[in-house]
Amino acid sequence: MKLLRILILAFISVALLMGPSYAQEFITIEGEVTRVLKLSIKDLEKYPVAEIKIKDQKGEEHVYRGTALSVLLDSAGVTLGRNLRGENLTKYVLVTAVDNYQVVYSLAEIDPEFASNLVLLTTHVDGKPLPKGEGPFRLVNQIDKRHARWIREIRSIKVLFSK
Amino acid sequence: MQMRIKQKGWQNQTGIVILVCIFFISLVCAFTFFEPEPYPLKYPANFGGRFTIPEDNPVTREGVALGRKLFYEELLSANNKISCASCHQQALAFSDNRQFSIGVDGTPTRRNSMSLSNLLWVKNFFWDGRSTSLEAQAVVPLTDPHEMGQSLEASSRKLNASKNYPSLFEKAFGTPHINADRIVKALAQFERTLISGNSKYDQYLTGSYQPTESERRGILLFSRGMRMDTNQRGGNCLHCHSIPKTFSETFHNNGLDEVPLDFGREDFTGMQEDRARFRVPTLRNIEVTGPYMHDGRFKTLREVLDHYSDHIKPSATLSPFIAGVTEQQIYSLALTPEEKQDIVNFMLMLTDTDFLNNPEFSDPEYKTNKP
Ligand code: HEC
Ligand code: HEC
Repeated sequence: MKLLRILILAFISVALLMGPSYAQEFITIEGEVTRVLKLSIKDLEKYPVAEIKIKDQKGEEHVYRGTALSVLLDSAGVTLGRNLRGENLTKYVLVTAVDNYQVVYSLAEIDPEFASNLVLLTTHVDGKPLPKGEGPFRLVNQIDKRHARWIREIRSIKVLFSK
Repeated sequence: MQMRIKQKGWQNQTGIVILVCIFFISLVCAFTFFEPEPYPLKYPANFGGRFTIPEDNPVTREGVALGRKLFYEELLSANNKISCASCHQQALAFSDNRQFSIGVDGTPTRRNSMSLSNLLWVKNFFWDGRSTSLEAQAVVPLTDPHEMGQSLEASSRKLNASKNYPSLFEKAFGTPHINADRIVKALAQFERTLISGNSKYDQYLTGSYQPTESERRGILLFSRGMRMDTNQRGGNCLHCHSIPKTFSETFHNNGLDEVPLDFGREDFTGMQEDRARFRVPTLRNIEVTGPYMHDGRFKTLREVLDHYSDHIKPSATLSPFIAGVTEQQIYSLALTPEEKQDIVNFMLMLTDTDFLNNPEFSDPEYKTNKP
């Protein structure tokens, strides 16, 4: 009986790991942009790489790797740097996951000229692609103490004006 | 001779001009004097104001009164026997007690009837979130051949021929004209008033109810996740059934089937990664809305807890937020019978008897039957 249980568990684990990958293969950056971006993991490799090292609850260190969100927003023509002033300071970024979970970052807190935070669109952790249920794309940032804005399985990134 | 004819023509024209003027003046008057009274939407402050009411359909007392009457109106069905309330009964928090509901053609609906409460805050309606407004949603049951099965034109004609409706439409919309747009607008207005926010749990949050020991444990188990390192126990329910409204605008596969019969949100979005995902439904008044899940497969809340604790099924889209699901495996939460009962007792706190008996939501034709 016990053996059966272990076998079933093993089967389930394999099924979970090997099961067809349904995860979103593309990410879109749209809204208040001059150029809508539709990026695959391959496209992302063309951008400069950045990393964040973070300790988890057990004190173990993990290295998240990806591209700074500010770099991607910049290449979509979002108002950053010198253009982040006046009404543009009322802009925010709405990030939506596959399950429709949503979080918000203000544009200013993403811009390295404004804030000393680093917001990364990550694709890898500890040298491996993000696991199922987390990847292929996840936002990670340097300063949040709770990680609820480390939104997983991202489907879209929208830049919007607060009305 | 010529003169006289000309003059007569001129007189005729004045007549028409005066008539046209009177027509326009009365039209303008009708609209300036048409001022329906805004309906005050009352809700607990912690529900928050993240909702939008369409600009072209403000909630008014007159509109809500009409919508309420329409909600109970059997003339809106092809056989004059079914109303919205047939499948959405107030005493059952506007759901029914069947696994699948029966419409005009006697066949069962594809999914379990949903409870209607706090829809003001919902953005994606139906189990799969395929409809984005209450106005658009209402068209579906009204015209679906398995539900009420009647075109909105036929419904408008029937209501037009009845004694009371033209004047009720006039009060709500300014003219007695009855059409599809106005029918669904009035229904939506009524549905926006169905607010449930006075359960024992709400009273506990405002400090006017003292929970029992079991309810207290239930609140914690509902809110927390399992943690191996600290031996913390919990079902992580709150991650999806967020407090205080207990639903969220997210879509999850909560592990009912390895091979689902109903593809849920995938049928709507066409994306495989949405397979068997459903909207996280409200748990308010859950005591009376059984059977449970999109296909009404569980008869009792205890069966629901057995599912989350012991029978989560793996599949490619299984939510990573279900307690006991890790990247590598699924382990049973193995909640004890007492823990399961504690969570059930918490959910029973969500019954709002004021909502279930509110005379403003009942069938207006049976007003006198209500206490
Ligand atoms: C024959 C039974 C039946 C009738 C009649 C009926 N409904 Fe429903 N209703 C259902 C079922 C079943 C669902 C869930 C269907 C689905 O998700 O595919 C539902 C879902 C809904 C929802 C979505 C709730 C949510 O949280 O997303 C609303 C709103 C609703 N009905 C309103 C109405 C109105 C208004 C009427 C009358 C015009 C009506 N219904 C008539 C069975 C019925
Ligand atoms: C990952 C998100 C998620 C978590 C975590 C979760 N649920 Fe659910 N819950 C759902 C979804 C989605 C449904 C609808 C599923 C369906 O019908 O296919 C649902 C349905 C239900 C229902 C039936 C509602 C109805 O109207 O039929 C109950 C009761 C319920 N959940 C209780 C719980 C409890 C108790 C827990 C914690 C042990 C929990 N849920 C954890 C997502 C979640």
